[in-house]
Amino acid sequence: MSTEPTLSIAAGLEDQEIEDPRLGPTAMSLKDVAVAFNGRTAVRDVTFDVPANKVTALIGPSGSGKTTLLRSLNRLHDLTKGAKVTGEITLGDVDIYRGGIPTTELRSRIGMVFQRPNPFPTMTIYENVVSGLRFNGVKKKAILDEAAEQSLRAAALWDEVHDRLKAHGSSLSGGQQQRLCIARALAVEPEVLLMDEPTSALDPISTQAIEALMVDLKKRVTIIIVTHNMQQAARTSDLTAFLLMAEDRAGVQIEVNPTLKLFSNPDDQRTLDYIQGRFG
Amino acid sequence: MTDLQTEPREAELHSVRAHLRERSAATRARRQLTSKVMVVLCWIAILCAAVPLLMLLFELIDKGWPYVSSWAFYSQLPQQPSITQPNNVGGASNAILGTVAVVAYAVVMAVPVGVVVGVFLAESDSKAANVIRVITQTMVGAPSILMGLFAFYIIVKQLNLGYSALAGAFALAVLMLPVLATATEIAVRGVPPTYREAGLALGAKPSTTSLRIVLPAAVSGIVTGSILAISRAVGETAPVLLVIGGAYSMNWRPTDPVSMIPVQIYQDASSAYPAQQNQVWGLALLLVAVVFVLSLFARIWAGRKQKERR
Repeated sequence: MSTEPTLSIAAGLEDQEIEDPRLGPTAMSLKDVAVAFNGRTAVRDVTFDVPANKVTALIGPSGSGKTTLLRSLNRLHDLTKGAKVTGEITLGDVDIYRGGIPTTELRSRIGMVFQRPNPFPTMTIYENVVSGLRFNGVKKKAILDEAAEQSLRAAALWDEVHDRLKAHGSSLSGGQQQRLCIARALAVEPEVLLMDEPTSALDPISTQAIEALMVDLKKRVTIIIVTHNMQQAARTSDLTAFLLMAEDRAGVQIEVNPTLKLFSNPDDQRTLDYIQGRFG
Repeated sequence: MTDLQTEPREAELHSVRAHLRERSAATRARRQLTSKVMVVLCWIAILCAAVPLLMLLFELIDKGWPYVSSWAFYSQLPQQPSITQPNNVGGASNAILGTVAVVAYAVVMAVPVGVVVGVFLAESDSKAANVIRVITQTMVGAPSILMGLFAFYIIVKQLNLGYSALAGAFALAVLMLPVLATATEIAVRGVPPTYREAGLALGAKPSTTSLRIVLPAAVSGIVTGSILAISRAVGETAPVLLVIGGAYSMNWRPTDPVSMIPVQIYQDASSAYPAQQNQVWGLALLLVAVVFVLSLFARIWAGRKQKERR
């Protein structure tokens, strides 16, 4: 019963040798990471390595702290009063909280795509894509133009918008807006791209486009994606971390394994229960 | 067994339903009557409010239109009527020019400060912000003559600039400041936090994010607030009465004594000549029209921007 394959993508693979993406180079490393708000722990005991140029998925039911964990990786909790991140998170060999790296530099090395598409409302498509570069002081038009085209191509949006770069970002469809946000994040050439349920507000076709894009983007960046859609995690990721709410209502790490293994033959009974839809 | 149980229950239910139907018919009739009475009461209340307002407006247009529709009203200086020429009142060009000048100076002074204060109030949760917020809210309710006294003391006396457009503009700017700061604070707070996060996540400094993402997104609200603040300032009499000097010539420079429409109304209304007294209606109509157009513009602007956002 416990070895029954749960998703078609993993069917028949349980006997195969599954290569662990963690054997390759590491992009980020988390050690005993915990996030608390006003003394109340939201997520704790997270320890795993994020393999470089792979997609790592964070899955788990609502309240398991996936998004909270993700937002600690680019120090976005710094904005929230009473938020406290403990443990050690490293990018390359830099401790991002105590290594003295300025948050502006950190965040240009770790990009982010949000749950709902949020192109800047007062900016055109072009201005949106190059905004990150402009904020960081790049002014040369040739560089900006080059970056805009390259990023839009990387986000598979160039063909759809190249003749209306001066249109407002809000004139695009939801799926296009989200790809615009991906292009905007890519323009500053980050090493890591955080994606917080990037397709939860999109239709199936747009979702498919973004998933295909993620697999394509692995060559350029390391991707960490939060998703509540297990199929999405199974389809796109190489490594999956499963989080679950503990009795103290804090999210804890249950299991981190290569995606194929986690979805076919998980180590933990709770993981199996979750992916078989017994709770969550 | 089951039949025995369900049958009486069904009969019981039936009678309950019939009873409810009867009752509901009575209730419905009663409610319809109450509704009608309430509608009539509403109309009476509306008439009570609207009739005096419409009468005022009618009187204003009836008496003011001959002035407002004549070119001389805008192009000529006021004349002093005499016993031989009791109808020689001239126009109000000085008051119109003075109003435009003083309000323009007030906008130049108040808008930058008001916007900066508003952004600070929206972005900071420090003690200082709370103190400033309380002061701002108190200033909104302060009697406007206070601003006049303040301007009189600071500009006319302390800085020794005399009765001048600048002193009037200062008084109006102080009056507009809290309105502007509050409008800006609301507009900035209304910008969804996801845009700020997106800016920061691109590696922008917090100040860059505020200035280049949040503030532009709040501009429509700030402009609407500014227009409303201006339309309030245009009609203010008390704060400027003390300090602008009320000159009968085409003055507009900051240090010139000037006249303004509300002040001219105040002066002309107490004239001994009926022709001068009547001109007051023209001035009043012009003032009302300007405020109306400004408010209309603010509404249209806000509506258009909102549509654009969607």
